[in-house]
Amino acid sequence: MDENSITCDVAIVGSGFAGSCIANELSGKGIKVVILEAGPDVQPNFNAYMKSFYEASSKVPESPYPPAVRDVREEIFINPKNVAAGRPSSLTVGGSTWTNPDKAYLDQSTSKRPFKSTYERLAGGTAHWMGLTPRLVPNDFRMKTMYGKDQPGFVDWPIDYNTIEPYYQRAEAELGVAADVDEQRFCGIDFSGNYQYPMPKIPPSLFDQRVGEALAHLGDEETQFLGMGRPVASLAVRSLPAARNSQPYRNRRACAGNTNCIPICPIQAKYDPTITLNEAANKGARLVPHRVANEILIKNGCVSGITFLTYDRESGPKTGSGVITAAVYVIAANGIETPRLLLMSKNKGQFPNGVANSSDMVGRNLMDHPQYLTWGLLPQPVFPYRGPLVTSAIGELCDGPFRAQRAAFRVSLGNEGWTTVVGGGARFGADPNVTTLDFVNGMNFSGVNTQGLTGLGSDNRALFGDDLTRTLGNLISRQFRIAFPVEQNPDPNNRVTLSSALDALGLQRPKINYDISDYTMQGFATAFRLKKLIFSKLGATEFTSVPKGDPAAFKIDSVPELFTYGGAGHVMGTYRMGNDPKTSVVDEWQRSHDHRNLYLVGSGTFPTVGTANPTLTLSALALRTAEDIVKNLPSLKS
Amino acid sequence: MDHRRERNTESAEPLTQSEKISRRTMVAGTIAMTAVAAVLPLSNLAYAQASNPRQDMVAFLLLSEALTGVNRQTLAPEFSADANEILNSDPGVDPINIKNTYFDWINTHAAPSSFAKLLQIAKDSRKSPRDIIRRVSLSDDDTKFVARSVVLLWYLGSWYEPGDLKNAATSPDSVQGPIKQKVVSAKAYTQGLVWLIVGAHPMGYSNLQFGYWSRDPRDPNSPDLFSPAKF
Repeated sequence: MDENSITCDVAIVGSGFAGSCIANELSGKGIKVVILEAGPDVQPNFNAYMKSFYEASSKVPESPYPPAVRDVREEIFINPKNVAAGRPSSLTVGGSTWTNPDKAYLDQSTSKRPFKSTYERLAGGTAHWMGLTPRLVPNDFRMKTMYGKDQPGFVDWPIDYNTIEPYYQRAEAELGVAADVDEQRFCGIDFSGNYQYPMPKIPPSLFDQRVGEALAHLGDEETQFLGMGRPVASLAVRSLPAARNSQPYRNRRACAGNTNCIPICPIQAKYDPTITLNEAANKGARLVPHRVANEILIKNGCVSGITFLTYDRESGPKTGSGVITAAVYVIAANGIETPRLLLMSKNKGQFPNGVANSSDMVGRNLMDHPQYLTWGLLPQPVFPYRGPLVTSAIGELCDGPFRAQRAAFRVSLGNEGWTTVVGGGARFGADPNVTTLDFVNGMNFSGVNTQGLTGLGSDNRALFGDDLTRTLGNLISRQFRIAFPVEQNPDPNNRVTLSSALDALGLQRPKINYDISDYTMQGFATAFRLKKLIFSKLGATEFTSVPKGDPAAFKIDSVPELFTYGGAGHVMGTYRMGNDPKTSVVDEWQRSHDHRNLYLVGSGTFPTVGTANPTLTLSALALRTAEDIVKNLPSLKS
Repeated sequence: MDHRRERNTESAEPLTQSEKISRRTMVAGTIAMTAVAAVLPLSNLAYAQASNPRQDMVAFLLLSEALTGVNRQTLAPEFSADANEILNSDPGVDPINIKNTYFDWINTHAAPSSFAKLLQIAKDSRKSPRDIIRRVSLSDDDTKFVARSVVLLWYLGSWYEPGDLKNAATSPDSVQGPIKQKVVSAKAYTQGLVWLIVGAHPMGYSNLQFGYWSRDPRDPNSPDLFSPAKF
């Protein structure tokens, strides 16, 4: 095959979860599929990524993966204009760098608040995901019907829970989900047939067990503030469905608790799309790496080809260009890169607002699940830094009459203590380094080097020997983290557009404008009250704080403390699905209203986002889309 | 007990699982290799006054044991003590041999005079970890902060510059972000001791089995076995 003039039945841009699922489904039916991948190819093994991770001084989500964010001495940030296929980094979403396009890949120079989520650009997509796969609940699909009277911004999905349910089952088989059906029946979630998850659930950590005991008996008056419209006498801590092997599954090992789901599972017990990609390749699908799609060409209302640029080195420059021609085109490049490509495709001015954009909705309604992250110290050890990063959660608070007034949230229990690998970087770095430094060097950046907590007779103690091991063992084994991922409502002004800042291929980088609504902030306010309740039931000491100068900091009138938020990595909403071509970009099959041989897949099609991690839902939707492509391909080929 | 040491009835020295494995698998290699070979790469380093590099390595392990609170048998799994004179012990060779990496690193990254002073303290006070700690704590600043860098190296596999530590300790308000560190190597990260001290494993490097996280890492029959003081 000529690498720069490619012809096939179905061309897919992007090899993440959605693109891989579709490639695998279609290849199995003898359809000729080629995937353009902006980044490097599937690696023979993870050794190089593991080495990068081990050697990284900041073990942030992107640390194992190329391209480099900092120079070889790890001292300066590489200017993203010198990177061929760049991506956002959690190292540059805060402090003084987030508004500086010379340091941060996403141009947020005019954004009200930082958009903190990141993604990868390499074969297999965002493999640094946590691996959590809860389903959306039925009301998440009908937010306008249920709560639209008070919240007019909400829309309904063009499909309901029952429509997607069989595809959830298939996605759970493809990703390999461990969970228990009886435990997952809440907020209207049900399972058709005699369904069982592919694997038994992941067992709870000691911290999960502790929280479960603490919240087993609650008084009505204590929980009334949740607005559930029913008495809440206990809160169930449930094992969280996860694409994490609880037993050997499809030639991959059971989880060994490396406590490293983000950024990388060293034994691939956590699913990542390279697994599906390899299967698709065995069936004949072809992935071509280092091909950055830069324009979708339209002829007579249909896509006639997609042009791309090639490069050899991370730093560019462009080494060539080419075009891929197919009967059907699928853009699976995530919630930021997909609208970027659509918006770049002006077709010599014929589509000044980009393709598939007659609704003007491309790039709008950018959403995440902003996370309220809290840290505490328990009276007794629970031994964090063991097991998967998250094993259990409280899910049943994610729907109720309160949604007419405030955003929903879930409660995710962390097994990774005070490391900020997930949170994105606190002021002095991540634990165990910070607490260790404190007691070796007589400082108190962690907040725990105090007489009251150590019983050592004075603050800021510098220790050696047994005193040091005893103190660290005592304090670090009692750490915990609880996160409250909060729902965002659609806001057309939260938006991906094109920046004047370029990448090393000369393409316009994404520009982001982002804010958090009052509806979402009210979700934070209630999460704050629930946090108070949980901490008090646990007898925990609070160590949550907002770093000075945090650009994400905000204040809510009813709460005395300052808030901040972390990104969940859930990039959603930017080419939403709907029945009305005037207000949505794709239909219920994720097919463009404007161009009938163009499909846009991934969480960008979510009209509303609920509180479930999006990967399972976008994978289920991709499987459904594959069926539609199979059905329509014969007529589109002719 | 997943990865914590167990009682060894013969020596009364606590051993970790990995120590036992390395002992089994490395016996042949240990016999074949001389102790001199084990420390040979150090002989041409900046710290050159050493008349006896093997004794220097033993002194380094005694120093490290005292300051880190972690048994020398964990620091150097093949350490073989000389009953008459501890400085004549065989520091041994093990497959990971992180002690050599660290000795080499400190020798090239810390002030030679400070490292020499620390080794001399360890030699002079070789019978008492408590004395080593006391004398290090009373040393000049240069020596003391090198000692702290050494502990952090063993704990985290990362090198913190002694000067940066001194600055952070004396004027903490001037610290605006994470203190600069260099992960010495992938191997050093995976050998970090702080993880074991808190009953865990380096993130991304676990030799444990599915489901271990549901159980208390302490031995229910001898809860003090987990006590870090017993390292």
